[in-house]
Amino acid sequence: MRRWFDANAWTLGLAVLLAALLLATKLIQPGFGVSGLDSLARAALPFALATVGMAIVVLAGGIDLSIAAMMAVASVTGAVLMDGASDGQAAFIVLGVLGLGLLMGAVNGLLIVVSRVPDIVVTLAMLFVWQGVALLILNAPGGAAVPWLRALSTGSFPGLDWLPRAVVFLALVTALIWLPIRRAKLGLRLYAIGSDPLAAFRSGVPVGQTRIIAYALCGLFAALGGLSVTMGTGIGEPIPGPYLLASVAAVVLGGVVLGGGRGGILGPVLAVFTLRTVRMDLTLLSVDPNVAAIVEGTIMVAVVMFGAVLAARGRKG
Amino acid sequence: MKRLLLGTAMTLGLAGMAAAQEYKIGISNTVQGNGWREEMVCAMKAEALASGKVASLNIAHRNTDAAGQLEDIRNLIQAGVDAIVVNPANAEGINAAIKEATDAGIVVVAVDQAVTEPSAYILSNNQEEYAYLGAKWLFEQMGGKGAVVYMRGAAGAGADNDRDKGFKRAMAEFPEITVAQEVFTGWQQDQGKQQINDIIAAGVPFQGVWTSGIDNVIVDAFVESGAPLVPIVGADNAGFVAQLTSVEGLKGAAVTNPGSVGGAGVALAIQILDGKMPAEKTVLVNPALWENVTEEGRAKLAAAANPNLSPEWPVSVSIDGWTTYTMDQIIACKGPGE
Repeated sequence: MRRWFDANAWTLGLAVLLAALLLATKLIQPGFGVSGLDSLARAALPFALATVGMAIVVLAGGIDLSIAAMMAVASVTGAVLMDGASDGQAAFIVLGVLGLGLLMGAVNGLLIVVSRVPDIVVTLAMLFVWQGVALLILNAPGGAAVPWLRALSTGSFPGLDWLPRAVVFLALVTALIWLPIRRAKLGLRLYAIGSDPLAAFRSGVPVGQTRIIAYALCGLFAALGGLSVTMGTGIGEPIPGPYLLASVAAVVLGGVVLGGGRGGILGPVLAVFTLRTVRMDLTLLSVDPNVAAIVEGTIMVAVVMFGAVLAARGRKG
Repeated sequence: MKRLLLGTAMTLGLAGMAAAQEYKIGISNTVQGNGWREEMVCAMKAEALASGKVASLNIAHRNTDAAGQLEDIRNLIQAGVDAIVVNPANAEGINAAIKEATDAGIVVVAVDQAVTEPSAYILSNNQEEYAYLGAKWLFEQMGGKGAVVYMRGAAGAGADNDRDKGFKRAMAEFPEITVAQEVFTGWQQDQGKQQINDIIAAGVPFQGVWTSGIDNVIVDAFVESGAPLVPIVGADNAGFVAQLTSVEGLKGAAVTNPGSVGGAGVALAIQILDGKMPAEKTVLVNPALWENVTEEGRAKLAAAANPNLSPEWPVSVSIDGWTTYTMDQIIACKGPGE
């Protein structure tokens, strides 16, 4: 019990912080309720999916700077193909877009493994490539999303008023993709190449192959994130949104060590919700927008520093 | 800190006379740190203050995409505002949140660019006409033939797309005009200046420059490099307007694209809240063109120039029939309670 608590202290701390923030929101705006939770969840969805993708590559010791651009490619591809498509066709389009995400991620990973150029350089270059691809597919916002897809993240879960569908959607896709991997050999390998690639190699882990898979998974979640943008807006957007920096921030705030090997997926997702709630509270309090950005950044630094202090104390004791 | 305390004191003071100031208005904007958008936000604040009918403004003003704007609008709904004035990230992407707002009885006014959600009111600058007007004047100055440098805004932006339509319409009327170079400035001063320097250095022949509002740095580049000046079309940014009257040998025209359309949007929202419905749901503000080759045009430029404005701000700081604030109020950039 004690060991479980220690191992998950960071995640638990974030959950407590999030609960406190939601309580504060209720105090600031007594009318905050089901619709507020729903809008919070819908706002968090693309950020959360991008963050899960980023968390996987960071755990495996990498980083993917092209994540927001891949989301844009997925968003415009989905929206262009779905324009005028039937419900049944749309299901295949969604699968196709997810495949495209895997492919884009795998290309990133392959280039890193084959060229041996640092991941930060390769994915920075690919950021521009995917940005160009997105603009080639659609040079201005447009396209469409089929109603059933949009309904997946809109409103409450049937029977449970307080549970937004966007949360259910997020939990379901993340659990379906990540949990089986985490429990399989692949999960161990991802963590192994993240904490010490040389040791992993000597233990017989196919380092290159595992790295490519990590980037492919990141691409898959980027595609999900891009689709969720299209689900929210009803169109495809060729210009990448603010998801790159936001996802790196949430990964760090969520307790994943940049450099790899340590952390989980739940922490970063809770961090996304925490950051979205902070943003909501700042709007509700009508804080000067130029000050709001400073407040957001300060909270992030403060939480990470506070956590580092706690972790250092824990090690001494 | 002192300003903060003063602000708090003023808020408390104003709360005492809140009886006349009844409305709470939300604002959503997705581009931060751009002169035009900053003027728009200041116009919104100034109009809210000058109307005397707004108790508080709730401003969501940051760099984000349509998905982020959905979040901001929903947060404003949560904040319980009476009206939302929004500069939409694009025409369709935020319809869902606008519908939720109007369903909740909130008046929504889209300014600068249109939205396709029918429950919203639209007060927008006519972007297609903006490009057409300037391009047509430029092509006439070039004698109906030659090559033009086409310096666009941001790839994929709705306003850039509309302006492209207007530019192409003018091109179609002048078959002997060709495009020497087409670049996207991203509406960034430094990027635009680098691009024109490259074009001048490359020696590509051209007889005119059309810009999507990144204009004063283009004139700077010509002056600094000593390259022969060609006719240049820009927006009514204070810096460019000043150059049109001061730079020797420069022929050019400024097309108005008032950022004060934000103030007009607030004025419209207040009118609707007061129960005065406009005749049409869409109001288009048409641009004007001020050139420096005729006596009449120079008089207009002289009247518009204002040394107190930031060089990136459009000089058309008010819109007749809509905005009621004074020049000092918009420059002060203070909303109710600030």
